Amino acid sequence: MPKCTINGKEVEVKEGTSIIEAMQQSGDRIAHYCWHPGLSVAGVCRLCMVEIEGNPRVQIACNTMVTEGMKINNTSEKVRDAVKWGLDFHLINHPLDCPICDQAGECGLQDQYMEYGKYDPEMAEPKQKKHKVVDLGPTVVLDSERCILCSRCVRFTEEVSKTNELGIFNRGDRSEIGTHDGLELNNKYSLNTVDICPVGALTSKDFRFRQRVWYLKDAETVCNGCATGCSVKVYYNKEGFFRVKPVYNEKVNGHWMCDEGRDIYKFVNREHRLLKAQVRNASGWTEMTAGAAAKNANEVLKNASGDSLALVLTAQYTVEEFDAIVSTFVNEFKTKKVFFWINNKESFDNFDGLLLRGDKNPNTKGLLKVLEKHGITATWSDLSAGLANGSIKTIVVAGPENQAVFPDFAERVKELSKAQNLIWMQSGKNDALMSLTGNVWLIPMKSFVEKDGTFVNHAGLEQKFKKVTTVVSEALTLTEAALLLAGKNLAIPTTAQTFLPLNQREDQVALEARKKNEFVFRRGSL
Amino acid sequence: MAEAKVLTEFYHLPEFQTLAGYKAKGGYETLPKALKMQPQQIIDEVKASGLRGRGGAGFPTGMKWGFLPKNGEPRYLLCNADEGEPGTFKDRMMMERAPHQLIEGMIISAFAIGSNKGYIYVRGEYVYPIECLNKAIKEAYAAGLLGKNILGSGFDFDLDVYRGAGAYICGEETGMISSLEGLKGQPKLKPPFPAVQGYLRKPTIVNNVETLAAVTYIIKDGAQAYRKHGTEKSAGTKLFSVSGNVMKPGNYEVPLGYPLMDLIMKECGGMKPGRRLKAIIPGGSSAPVLTAEEVAKANLDYESLAGLGTMLGSGAVIVMDDSQCMVDMLGVLTHFYAHESCGQCTPCREGTGWLNKILHSILEGRGRLQDIDLLIKVADNMKGKTICALSDAAALPVLSFVTKFRDEFEFYVREGRSKVKGTTYAEMHH
Repeated sequence: MPKCTINGKEVEVKEGTSIIEAMQQSGDRIAHYCWHPGLSVAGVCRLCMVEIEGNPRVQIACNTMVTEGMKINNTSEKVRDAVKWGLDFHLINHPLDCPICDQAGECGLQDQYMEYGKYDPEMAEPKQKKHKVVDLGPTVVLDSERCILCSRCVRFTEEVSKTNELGIFNRGDRSEIGTHDGLELNNKYSLNTVDICPVGALTSKDFRFRQRVWYLKDAETVCNGCATGCSVKVYYNKEGFFRVKPVYNEKVNGHWMCDEGRDIYKFVNREHRLLKAQVRNASGWTEMTAGAAAKNANEVLKNASGDSLALVLTAQYTVEEFDAIVSTFVNEFKTKKVFFWINNKESFDNFDGLLLRGDKNPNTKGLLKVLEKHGITATWSDLSAGLANGSIKTIVVAGPENQAVFPDFAERVKELSKAQNLIWMQSGKNDALMSLTGNVWLIPMKSFVEKDGTFVNHAGLEQKFKKVTTVVSEALTLTEAALLLAGKNLAIPTTAQTFLPLNQREDQVALEARKKNEFVFRRGSL
Repeated sequence: MAEAKVLTEFYHLPEFQTLAGYKAKGGYETLPKALKMQPQQIIDEVKASGLRGRGGAGFPTGMKWGFLPKNGEPRYLLCNADEGEPGTFKDRMMMERAPHQLIEGMIISAFAIGSNKGYIYVRGEYVYPIECLNKAIKEAYAAGLLGKNILGSGFDFDLDVYRGAGAYICGEETGMISSLEGLKGQPKLKPPFPAVQGYLRKPTIVNNVETLAAVTYIIKDGAQAYRKHGTEKSAGTKLFSVSGNVMKPGNYEVPLGYPLMDLIMKECGGMKPGRRLKAIIPGGSSAPVLTAEEVAKANLDYESLAGLGTMLGSGAVIVMDDSQCMVDMLGVLTHFYAHESCGQCTPCREGTGWLNKILHSILEGRGRLQDIDLLIKVADNMKGKTICALSDAAALPVLSFVTKFRDEFEFYVREGRSKVKGTTYAEMHH
């Protein structure tokens, strides 16, 4: 374990640690654009300059390993001058279009300028013009003129997605990122290139120009897109959720997440949600609050206890919710007819070798654990048989949040609607459900960002997450629904103000209108 | 001291290009001797000879070979015949006139380092040298000098010519390795050095054509015979490719330490009638320029030139007489480096372009006086800040030209025309 001194502080690091990693460990700030902990070292941006005692020249910190007794600093005049010039080289051909650049507020170059820049530019020559709005593929747009050729995106496609679509073409200051002949940036992880782009060169078609980042709040949670359960950060404001990005989690997703997972925010937004409960009887549909609908359903359930009552669960709820509802059915309604609705059976066990799993549920393991705990062994064929012979008369369904990954949705609705009473709880709207006849209760549920809980991923890793905000105030958790269905009295607090931040880091910008350039914010210079 | 023909003695004979002609002059007589030696003996002999890399960096050859890991891993021998530095054309002559000399040197070197596979990486524009090499390699295979069990020694060595696409940076050893691997010709970060992890991530030695050709002589006559030429620290002879305003431009082999002025005045026939020597770039376009006064003090060896703030480099001597406009000359160089920068490291990618733009602003009459200092500042901040030496190669001529001939730059800015030629850039080039 070599010990070194960084800016006067002694730091002990693991053998083989680079200076840049040691500086991160010691909490010292160091400029870097091309270095990324999830990628190989390129050493091309030349910004992570440090001075090492005994060495006449400044060195790059990303490709220099810490050795015993090394004395490093990155605050000397020599380093500041080198970094200032490094920044100059980056900026000479970079357009100063921060006001319209999508990366403004999150741009490494902007942060650097605030720290080392603020000087009169010396470049009087015309800038090297490169291509704008280059369509790289279905998800990503390139503004080549903003690109600083850090090569992170190229290395990502070479080393992580292993799809090799991107390359750097031409030479010198005519160099540009592009796709190889006949290819487009079209892989299942393509949007990670946008995350790791340190400037505004690569932008997500989905997010591009939809929001200024400093008008967004963010919070960490667990992706509910598949059984991997990536750690993610969701970005939102009073208008809704706008994007999802990965958060480093060594045990689960490293630095990355899939493009599919980035769509999970869409199912959360109000326009896709069931906002009010709908109850249908012989006289047609009636709208009511979720709590009232659940209490109303209790009238049916209390008469349907035992084998005539079944519960169908999708693995999209938390362990705590599964435990609550299954306990209610087993203990209150005396039925063990609890069924696991497995979606996409053919591809359920698929795995792409990186993150994406065929099991599109975040909590299959959690559900199975709860079912096992309660001694439930029922299979779907038992349910089908019960419906066919009329022994199952009432069904409660906890349906999926993301209906798109349940290709058999309409088919299941049809099958389950054979029951006399169908109590269907889910967060999203669905036409197949609204077109049902007979006795139907549609009860709005909270989405994963609106509740605390635990998901157990494919590997059995329990991951707790916290409520981010409220989107549909009246929606229920499955736990609340279980209590109400069992006839318990429960006050459901509702709020007129939705999208209030509930799960924020201590250092996070709190006010909506405050600029989210955290460097500037910390310095308090605005 | 006059020309010492260690390598080039028979270059004037057309038949020396062929296997028969080469053998007639003692060619391939050293190979059986070498194959009977212990590889370490060869390495020790090369170390003792004081041979330094003739491609530009001047690193001791034997020492470089000694960096190879002794773990029995497959290793490669690459001959750097990219020769992209403006003014440098010595390797071209060697490949055209004496391809077997290089092949013999490569077989001996490969045996010494334990390599069974070698490549000669030649710049794509060198069509005729490639043809000569391919013919010679074919002859050598047919004669059992390449391939399996060479001369019954049990040593196998295969050799191929690889034609580059003509990029300056592919002459940098790691850029060459990238290119050979089928990647874009871009230098790689060091460490790891190629001797530890090179071509296909295996230990690799990269040596220049002239270096490898010299190995044969060293093994044939011994390290001490080689050391008889040159100086204590710069042993042996060296090929100098002289271009520019001299009477007889061309390649000259002289012992290291030879006075630069003698090379110009005696070997190259002096300056053109009525012209005075103004400046010389002694080691390829990346070397800092020397003024005529400095040239008078310069000897052609690593130490003497380093003492004058320049370098021996590849031995490309570019001579300029008093008719040469230094602003125009530097404009040519900055354009070259801006064009050839691989674009990988920011200071080089942007800096070479920036220098070129400033120079051309001056040349086109749009220059500002502060641009002269800006050239120095930009070049200063490119030096030593990148993966390879291209950035330095672009910066050093700028620093030396502007510092040593500042009056010409200032005149150009003020007047919008050349102090030497009296004309504008447009008039000069049309």
